[in-house]
Amino acid sequence: MKRIFNPKSIALIGASEEPGTVGFGLSRNILEGKDLRKIYFINPKREEVFGLKCFESILDIKEKIDLAIVAVPSKIVKDIIIECGEKKVGGVIIVSSGFKEAGNIREEEEIREITQKYKIPLIGPNCLGIINPSINLNASFAPITPKKGNIAFLSQSGALLDSVVDRNSLGFSKIVSYGNEAGLDLADFIDYLKTDIETKVISIYFEGVKDGRKFMRIASEVSKIKPIIAIKSGRSDKGKEAAGTHTGTLVGDYNVYKTAMKQSGVILVDTLEELFDTSLTLSSLPKCENGIGIVTNGGGLGVLTVDYCSELGINIPNLSKTTLSLLEKSKAMEKVVSKNNPLDVLGDALADRYAVGIESLLRDKDINGLIIISTPQLMTEHEKNAKIIVELRNKYPLKPIVCCFLGGQSVESAIKYLELNQIPNYTDVKRAVKSINGLIKR
Amino acid sequence: MEILSFEETRKILLKYKLPFCRTEIFNSKDKALIFAKQIGFPVVLKVHAQKIFHKSEVGGVKVNIKDEEEFVSSWNQIEKNIQGKNIEGILVQEMVSGSEIALGMKRDQQFGPVLMFGLGGIFIEIIKDVAFRIAPINTEEAIEMIKETKGFEILNGARGKKKVDLAGIAEMIVNLSNLSFKEEKVQSIDFNPVMVTDKQALITDFRIII
Repeated sequence: MKRIFNPKSIALIGASEEPGTVGFGLSRNILEGKDLRKIYFINPKREEVFGLKCFESILDIKEKIDLAIVAVPSKIVKDIIIECGEKKVGGVIIVSSGFKEAGNIREEEEIREITQKYKIPLIGPNCLGIINPSINLNASFAPITPKKGNIAFLSQSGALLDSVVDRNSLGFSKIVSYGNEAGLDLADFIDYLKTDIETKVISIYFEGVKDGRKFMRIASEVSKIKPIIAIKSGRSDKGKEAAGTHTGTLVGDYNVYKTAMKQSGVILVDTLEELFDTSLTLSSLPKCENGIGIVTNGGGLGVLTVDYCSELGINIPNLSKTTLSLLEKSKAMEKVVSKNNPLDVLGDALADRYAVGIESLLRDKDINGLIIISTPQLMTEHEKNAKIIVELRNKYPLKPIVCCFLGGQSVESAIKYLELNQIPNYTDVKRAVKSINGLIKR
Repeated sequence: MEILSFEETRKILLKYKLPFCRTEIFNSKDKALIFAKQIGFPVVLKVHAQKIFHKSEVGGVKVNIKDEEEFVSSWNQIEKNIQGKNIEGILVQEMVSGSEIALGMKRDQQFGPVLMFGLGGIFIEIIKDVAFRIAPINTEEAIEMIKETKGFEILNGARGKKKVDLAGIAEMIVNLSNLSFKEEKVQSIDFNPVMVTDKQALITDFRIII
């Protein structure tokens, strides 16, 4: 798989410059990395695409090909794959659809057999392709190339993947739309990512797995090394078994998946938002012991946060004597009568009060992580607060901080600054609580 | 899809050390009565057939039969209820008391045998308070599975109740796991109820589907 994800040469079969086609998207994306690797376009009907000469067949290319991408009508895919086999390419991605998903099981099986015969790793068919942002490789027809980062995202759905790469708050190490899994399956990609140094967290969207027991074996092994977070669609039980056992009707498909994921150490989440919130925190923040501090300029939100914490079993420790005396002595804290955890720095808090509050709590030995809430009051100094938070995070790097800067335009630039510095910000305290919950060692 | 015969069921339960209450199958009322007297009243009568998946619904079950007279009328009633149906025989079982739990297995196409544990009665029927694991599992995982259910505290001696034999239940789950893993023709299993006391866990109703 190394040659697929780090190709020195790519051949695109079905290159096109006709806007709106898959071939167009692929050609354009692949050309982004034209200075970094050899690119060959194949299309017998065209002289050139985007100024690059087109070959009639992959067999006309003299140089070695690491990765072949096939985006041609399904009925000629088979012949093209045989050519790729003869060319001894390092790997092949079949983007074309019209196989198993369309009921053409035999056609897909033929392709699988050919790639097996030539020993070529196969991704797809019926997929969007792969992206490796760190080397500027976009071998997909996704609308944009996402930022590089340390989250690997594996998706059975191509369209969903599109919507994910469009979020600019996330950075990715590898992105794979794996389609019908005729060759490489989800478990193979997880296995590959185990030793991929750029990947810290593996994030998955799936509808089902091809081989349940293989998946469990590999996921159990990899989840001990890197967190695996997954969301599964298709949870509602369609056909409950007719008669049979009682157990049969109780088990249900989703329960089986839930059980399999749990036994394999995979974190199964409910919503896409949770998938990416959890991926982001686990990939960018340190893990911590239970015991979380809360700093807020709104009392109500502090209480709400405590409620969510207690639901998830997160401790909100009382402040130590040292911390209390630190707060007592501070001039900025004069107006704050009730000094406790959550620490309500009051609505009129300026940045200096936030600074003292945050640092005092971060120094407290019983507090291992922090949720910082800021509601936009007339005097709130969002940008200054954000700067202080980043500085203090750098000073206390072992204690994770998540923020909840609430508001619209007035907080936008502050949030951007936080995110740029790997401090996640959430628009709801519940999301902030859930995220920090994922970091607590239990 | 059919229910495994009683003789095959008995063999499999013995092979995998899954203890069940005293049970025999009969086609003759007289012989059945002798056995009932031998094990002592009260007893239970249940029809056993390849294709009868819900015995109670067809009137194939009579429990708490206290004496000979009730035995004869119950036997006759069951025979009448299942008239025309192809059956293997009628089971005579000892009445066992205890807390009800349920164990089960369903073979999943993707993941293989999925084990289920839950408290019996309304807990499983209405609240669906059950825990699942994919086989094979060890004793530790079986205990974890029992503890995962909300009803666990009831088994563990809540409200002054006697604590039941949790180790016995765990052992039964592990044995069920081994059975499911090795006997590939078995598609699903229900042990519901299993009666547990502070001393033992005993299967009183079994349904193995092949």
